[in-house]
Amino acid sequence: MANQDRLELGPPQPADSGVMASQAVTGTARTGLLRTTNARATAALGSLLGQFRLALRTPAGRIGLPLVLLHLIIALAGPWLAPYAPTAFVGSQLEPPSWQFLMGTDQFGRDILSRVMSGAGSIIAVSVAGAALGIALGTLVGMASGYKGGRTDEVVMRVMDGLMSFPSLLMALLVLTSLGANAANIVLTIGVVFTAPVSRVMRSITLSLKTQEFVQSARMRGEPVPYIIFREILPNTLPVLAVEGSVRLSYAILLASSLGFLGLGVQPPSPDWGLMISESRRFIVVAPWVALAPAVAVATLIVGVNLLTDGIRQARTLPREGTQV
Amino acid sequence: MLRFLAVRLSLIALTLLVVSVLIFTITEVLPGDAAQQQLGQSVTPESLEALRAKYGLNRPAHVRYLDWIGGMVSGDLGDSYKYNKPVINVVRPRVFNSVVLAAFAFLVAVPTAVFSGVWAGVRRNSFGDQLVSIASLVGISLPEFVTGVLFIVIFASALRWLPSSSVMLPATNPLTRPSILVLPTLTLTGVLFAYIMRMTRANVIEEMQANYVRTAILKGLSMQRVIWRHVIPNAMLPTISVIAVNIGWMLGGLIIVENVFAYPGIGSLLLVSIQSRDVPILQALALLIAVTYALSNLLADLSYGLLNPRIRVS
Amino acid sequence: MTEAGQDTNSLVQVKQLAVTFYTPTGTVRAVRDASFEIMRSEVLGLVGESGCGKSTVAFAIMGYLPGMHQVEGDIYYEGKDINDLSASELRKLRGNRIAMVYQDPATCLNPSMRVGPQVEETLKMNLGLDPARAHERTVELFESVGLADPENIGKRYPHQLSGGMQQRIVIAMALACDPDLLIMDEPTTGLDVTTEATILDLVVDLKKRVRAGILFVSHNLGVIARVADRVAVMYAGQVIEQAPARELFRNPRHPYTAGLLSCVPQPPSAEGTVTKLTGIPGVVYEASKVDIDACLFAPRCPLAADRCTAQAPGMEDAGDRHESRCFFWRDVRKGLWGKEVPWEPVSRDTESLLCARGLRKFYGRWQRKYLFFGPRVRPPVRALVDVDFDVRSGRTLGVVGESGSGKTTIARTVAGLIPRNRGELRLHGEELAPEVEDRSRKHRDALRMVFQNPTASLNPQLPVSHAIVRSLRKLVGLGRAESRKRAAELLQAVGLDPGYLGRLPGELSGGEQQRVALANAFAGNADLILADEAVSSLDVSVQAQVLDLLDKHQKEQGTSYIFISHDLGVVRYVSDDILVLYAGHVAESGPAGSVLKPPMHPYTEALLSAAPVPDPDARPSSIRLPGAVPTLRERFQGCFFAGRCPRKIGAICDRTPPPGHTGSDSDDHVIYCHIPVDELLRLQE
Repeated sequence: MANQDRLELGPPQPADSGVMASQAVTGTARTGLLRTTNARATAALGSLLGQFRLALRTPAGRIGLPLVLLHLIIALAGPWLAPYAPTAFVGSQLEPPSWQFLMGTDQFGRDILSRVMSGAGSIIAVSVAGAALGIALGTLVGMASGYKGGRTDEVVMRVMDGLMSFPSLLMALLVLTSLGANAANIVLTIGVVFTAPVSRVMRSITLSLKTQEFVQSARMRGEPVPYIIFREILPNTLPVLAVEGSVRLSYAILLASSLGFLGLGVQPPSPDWGLMISESRRFIVVAPWVALAPAVAVATLIVGVNLLTDGIRQARTLPREGTQV
Repeated sequence: MLRFLAVRLSLIALTLLVVSVLIFTITEVLPGDAAQQQLGQSVTPESLEALRAKYGLNRPAHVRYLDWIGGMVSGDLGDSYKYNKPVINVVRPRVFNSVVLAAFAFLVAVPTAVFSGVWAGVRRNSFGDQLVSIASLVGISLPEFVTGVLFIVIFASALRWLPSSSVMLPATNPLTRPSILVLPTLTLTGVLFAYIMRMTRANVIEEMQANYVRTAILKGLSMQRVIWRHVIPNAMLPTISVIAVNIGWMLGGLIIVENVFAYPGIGSLLLVSIQSRDVPILQALALLIAVTYALSNLLADLSYGLLNPRIRVS
Repeated sequence: MTEAGQDTNSLVQVKQLAVTFYTPTGTVRAVRDASFEIMRSEVLGLVGESGCGKSTVAFAIMGYLPGMHQVEGDIYYEGKDINDLSASELRKLRGNRIAMVYQDPATCLNPSMRVGPQVEETLKMNLGLDPARAHERTVELFESVGLADPENIGKRYPHQLSGGMQQRIVIAMALACDPDLLIMDEPTTGLDVTTEATILDLVVDLKKRVRAGILFVSHNLGVIARVADRVAVMYAGQVIEQAPARELFRNPRHPYTAGLLSCVPQPPSAEGTVTKLTGIPGVVYEASKVDIDACLFAPRCPLAADRCTAQAPGMEDAGDRHESRCFFWRDVRKGLWGKEVPWEPVSRDTESLLCARGLRKFYGRWQRKYLFFGPRVRPPVRALVDVDFDVRSGRTLGVVGESGSGKTTIARTVAGLIPRNRGELRLHGEELAPEVEDRSRKHRDALRMVFQNPTASLNPQLPVSHAIVRSLRKLVGLGRAESRKRAAELLQAVGLDPGYLGRLPGELSGGEQQRVALANAFAGNADLILADEAVSSLDVSVQAQVLDLLDKHQKEQGTSYIFISHDLGVVRYVSDDILVLYAGHVAESGPAGSVLKPPMHPYTEALLSAAPVPDPDARPSSIRLPGAVPTLRERFQGCFFAGRCPRKIGAICDRTPPPGHTGSDSDDHVIYCHIPVDELLRLQE
């Protein structure tokens, strides 16, 4: 699945002659009365975990976060909670769901529910690690390039554009086929594939922040460039970063499961949700339940992450004042 | 305006150059070259070398790159290793099939998505809006292989209305067999619809808060007129760009969808060529995809530039 | 207050209006008690600082209040209460009988629609005119608001027009259906002073021509004095004084009004004295707090007595059509706040601290016809062209100009935030590197800056102490504990509690944030502080506090300032020397006393003429500049001001650059004009 990247819409608008620079400020600074009453909440925006806590205030977040947490718990405790071992042949082939096997058995007689629960760990671990790697790399590249500006920035952005000219699935396929499909390589692949879109987003916000007066103030103090980027600018990018991180996580899960579907995920006999769905196709007519459990699992996980993303997005607008006096 | 176009075109040319290097490098790194694939395990080094020489695989990398670029420009894309036919002949019918599929998906998704997005955005937070928003959230969350398989289960196995796979004899025109197009189109449409609808809704909501909308309302215009004559034209500007970009995005979706339904398009050809290390086909397809992406971005920029008076009229 | 409908000249009667908003973060009592009348052919000025509720009142009359809110009180129009009208009845009134003009014209016009159709739309929808007639009437309207080329301007898009033209279009749109009531909400805020003057001329003209009543909302007392017939002053959601304009400015009867008036910088009086601005101490009564049975201004009022905190004053009759919400209105007099002090010129014999010669800054590169090659077609923006100036130690150089004058560029190049293309810049005789990153620690410590936007000057995610402590550690070399101690002292010196150190900038008001920025600038051994529109976005009462702090610091430490502003009144108040810029060139420079009186450069003359003063009787010469500030891409062959100069003498102004003439009263006074100095003197007296 490709990257739904934030589109940079057109060239920057030309300044309007006859209108003073102060005009842009009158709306905000003149509200001497309307301080951010929820200043501590604003501080919370400065921490990533705070973002998630704020998301709980929105209806989307209230459904999303528990859903994600549920998956996390199953991922961590799956092997112990599962009724059977994922690779054990415990029943006859293709048994329909029953009290003994809640989601039925697959073509080898293995309990599907246990396989789904055990598979949670690998896909979540791979997705989280891959997304985190992509964000880390993308942030580094995007912020450094955005702050530096000039020729370096142009060149880096061309390369990033080049990397983004393919659907991420294609890139991932090519890279994994070259390197071989194992967990570490999948993480690496996802990380590399996501670097470019994340770098665009981080560059964009760095560009808008670097003209702010507090950054100019830091320059005048003689702060070195890395200090300015990481100590002054980065804390202000956290709201954007949180949303982007959440979005990347959902893409990572999509990508990882799609790769699994195409046979390039975690290798058998380890359970991989995508692969399970792919293999189930052969028996879809006689045993449709074989696809059901992994499909529900992957669907609910992604829906949960997306709801969480929406929650974080909406929560950002909550603490702001609603009126202008 | 002309400058705008010229700048964009040159940037694309630059990007495509980078892309071509990327494609070439990655395909070079693929382990086990085509010669090995073809001849299998038990093979003598001599016959391997002979086959390699035949394909020109023993020449240095940069020579092969320039040869490839040269071929591209002059229209000769080489021969497929697997099928032993000119690449163009292999690729062309597949491209046609994929274009048919993509076109249908687009034609269904775009009008419905834009309409729903506007409808939802104007009625923000109403019950209808919430419903549509939830539906679109589910739409973007479900991977195509899940929806695809789900459709097969429902429409093919359970209801038996449609065939469960889209396998065709080679050289069949898919338009002559519409029933195999339905499910793949529906699957592809699903995600497309969700993305475009969300973007449209967000754009409409943003425009509704603009100052000029306040001016229009306080001019005494009816809400109808405010929405149709003021909000929608401005909200459509970024939306149309997004739609154009989605053309490129759809190519990724094609890979999975064609695999799920065994539809003979470029997606499935891509998978096969990766497995069989059929490098000429792979390179050609990758470049085709990149060019399509680039062109769709250009289309997005162009449409934005043409429709936005700030850029069109300097 | 007349009964609704009795006086046919009375259009709108607002009685005890109160507006409360319910937001997720709390209740905001934007308007607590406002009562007034708007009469036909009369301008009622509604004035107050930010957060006083004046804009809310304006929108309440339109019946357009966002979010969850509650309105109490009555707004009568044509005998009916606006609050009781249905949505469709309101719609019939809007644009038709009651129309509005807004603050930021660029965003108030549909960017994708040509301006002509936007005005025609009002006519077609409200009056049912057919397209041909609507177009005709639109052209008439454009002409009546003073737009050049009224036939064709309708074909343009908003972004192709200057700010002044955009606002005229919005005014034309509002007047289209010949409304009874015109509401103007800060219509000139954000426009250049010379453009503002032309728009205010238009409003005054409209008053004579049109029968509508006008409600003019503004925070700028000078602007109100120019246009209003009657003024209502608002504070913390209440109207606290109402009177005919002349009365209010001459004899304010409320301590707050007197305070506001004393916060506006005035030119030195004939006796050579100047009112020292001290500001109004304390902070405004917050909108989130409930109504109490006491005077809301009492905590800050010099006349406050026990009675003021025990009982809420109502509007008392204080004279002929003059009301005041104060028990002690009789004791209010002009000298209540600021003192008159003799205007002492600062000693001239000080050394030159900063010397700038031939400063040049261009933005961008030449655009070529074929992208990378071909003839050059579009020049870069010439922001500064051959600018010279000196700052002497212990003195303040005021830099004044409008948008595009280059004043911000001067600040940025001197600070090293933007490298200059050409020119010398010496501090204490030593060359300053073009980029601040290349400068020595000594230079960075010697030169500090205060920015325009107080909120953006402080990192929103880091505590207030951060910037100050970093400055002390990096530039002064203090240790961690020492820096914190010194930071606390610095905050106290600017009138803030040291406890603020741990707070986040978002918890402070705009004025407090700017004071932190000052503390930051004072932290160290700055010889020169650049104040780039440092007070422009502050309320007038807060502005006075900040100016006072700057003045105190200068007297104690002997620091020099480069004070950049578009507000001529403020520049005149603070500066010892003045530099007048236009389109990147120096028009005039010299001691403050010489620059702002004849002989002056024609541009300086126009600026002085345009600047609004808070005195309704003031009738400065009406010199108006046609057109707008140039785009700065052209290289002027002759005089940079030739395109708009009202005193242009002929072709010489287009052909040759003007020479610098020395003024008659001082060797340091230079005027760049072709007209000889004595001729200018004669023309301008």
